[in-house]
Amino acid sequence: MLRIFIRLLLLMYVLASASVVQASGGRLTLTGSSTIAPLILEVAKRFESQHPGVRINVQTGGSSRGINDVRLGLADIGMVSRALKASEKDLSAYLIARDGIGIITHKNNPVRNLTGDQIVGIYSGKIRNWEEVGGSNLPITVINKAEGRSTLELFLQHFSLRNSQINAQVVIGDNQQGIKSVSAIAGAIGYVSIGTAEYEENHGTPIKLISMEGEIPTSENVAKGRYQFSRQLNLVVRNTPVGLAKEFIAFAQSDAVKDIIEAQFFVAP
Amino acid sequence: MVDRLFGWLMSGCAALVVSLLLWVLGDVLIEGVAHFSWSFLFTEPEDSGRSGGIAPILVSTLWILSIALVTALPLGLGVAVWLSEFAAGRRRFSDIARVTLDILAGVPSIVYGLFGNAFFSIYLGLGFSLLSGGLTLALMILPVFVRTCESGLRAVNDEWRRGALALGMARSAAIWHILLPAARPAIGAGLVLGIGRATAETAALVFTSGYVDRMPESPLDSGRALAVHIYDLSMNVTGGDSAAYASALVLVVLIVLLNTLAQSLLEDWFKRRVFVS
Repeated sequence: MLRIFIRLLLLMYVLASASVVQASGGRLTLTGSSTIAPLILEVAKRFESQHPGVRINVQTGGSSRGINDVRLGLADIGMVSRALKASEKDLSAYLIARDGIGIITHKNNPVRNLTGDQIVGIYSGKIRNWEEVGGSNLPITVINKAEGRSTLELFLQHFSLRNSQINAQVVIGDNQQGIKSVSAIAGAIGYVSIGTAEYEENHGTPIKLISMEGEIPTSENVAKGRYQFSRQLNLVVRNTPVGLAKEFIAFAQSDAVKDIIEAQFFVAP
Repeated sequence: MVDRLFGWLMSGCAALVVSLLLWVLGDVLIEGVAHFSWSFLFTEPEDSGRSGGIAPILVSTLWILSIALVTALPLGLGVAVWLSEFAAGRRRFSDIARVTLDILAGVPSIVYGLFGNAFFSIYLGLGFSLLSGGLTLALMILPVFVRTCESGLRAVNDEWRRGALALGMARSAAIWHILLPAARPAIGAGLVLGIGRATAETAALVFTSGYVDRMPESPLDSGRALAVHIYDLSMNVTGGDSAAYASALVLVVLIVLLNTLAQSLLEDWFKRRVFVS
């Protein structure tokens, strides 16, 4: 048994060294945002099935990694889950989808709409009871995202807040966790990806998306530009894309992948 | 009275730890079984892992683990033997080596990931590959493995060393036939720790072996490890929770299986050393 094991391992090593010389054909490497990665992976699979022999490798590590790798030439295309900053104008971005961010509360909370000022008031700790914004007499539990999350960055930017100004009772990581917290606390308020919230709402989780400044958070409104609080999901490249990269970006922006975008709870632009 | 209270307190602590473990395992088992089926093990993931199975991910995981263990085991045993048997004349160097190993053992795995990415993937040009991932994990499990084996070797009674010497055994033969078999429990423990840490590793692998969930064709392909898959399903994929639980169940079973296999291989090997040769 031991001998067989050792022989197997030797064989693996030989295979490993042999494949170093193997030439690679049509290959494309993408790195970046972990939000976009599951979506692009599915897009890549469909692209591969239509272009036999082509290999598309999708890696994650966050939006800034995507930008870095494209600049260094380590990746052909970067995935960035926000608009490019002024300091990143050396790259060009191609919008493939949008991700709306919605304010959620517990299902039994009677409040249906909040203004931007009210949200700022709640998150900075000036408004502490739902009564003050037209709800029932219930203390507000503020749920905020952890440092480093792109949704947090977007939230702070949208409401011109600094993270140090926020007075949160609960700090969470991902969307799922946010939804679980809000569904368990009657007076909770949080913000998560609209697609995820809609999915959970439809699957019976006791949460509710509420309007902001009268704008109703639905995937449809995000697509039509009738809901402002959203982020772009971009593919970025250093120069004008050519060859396979150009083909792939065109494919990711085409109608042929709309169903994939919707299946990942994002909104096709 | 105080003694009895103390006894209760201690057994309470033990019960708490055991019940925590049972809770975690029970949760994974109950939630995981609901989504699990045999085809889950043999099909490719679909719809970002929400449906389909984990076949390519299992294969990648085994590749990464084999590469890590094949690299770390001989190297680690060598260092441990040197530290415990040969380093006496070089106090200073061996002390530095020990401190270095202890510091390395405490380094967070993400640091190994970034180092592996910079060194194996970029500098050595291995790219995002199972080989980069396996070698990075080898580096990660080495320190703990070396220190465990070393303390096991040191714990062997000096009488045995003297006995071997008196019988006129060469030093290498004494190590091979007497000391290493005597340190077997420690080597086994080091192996269990290494396998556990390597199988459950996420952060070090995201940047080295990568995210691609295709069936790997060679160790130079990128491949997603089971732990990375679970992380992705629970953090980035809406509605991926049940598939994440099923994958976690597979991961737990895999760790148990691998530990049993490793222990029996070790036992096998040492039996030969002691009785056959």
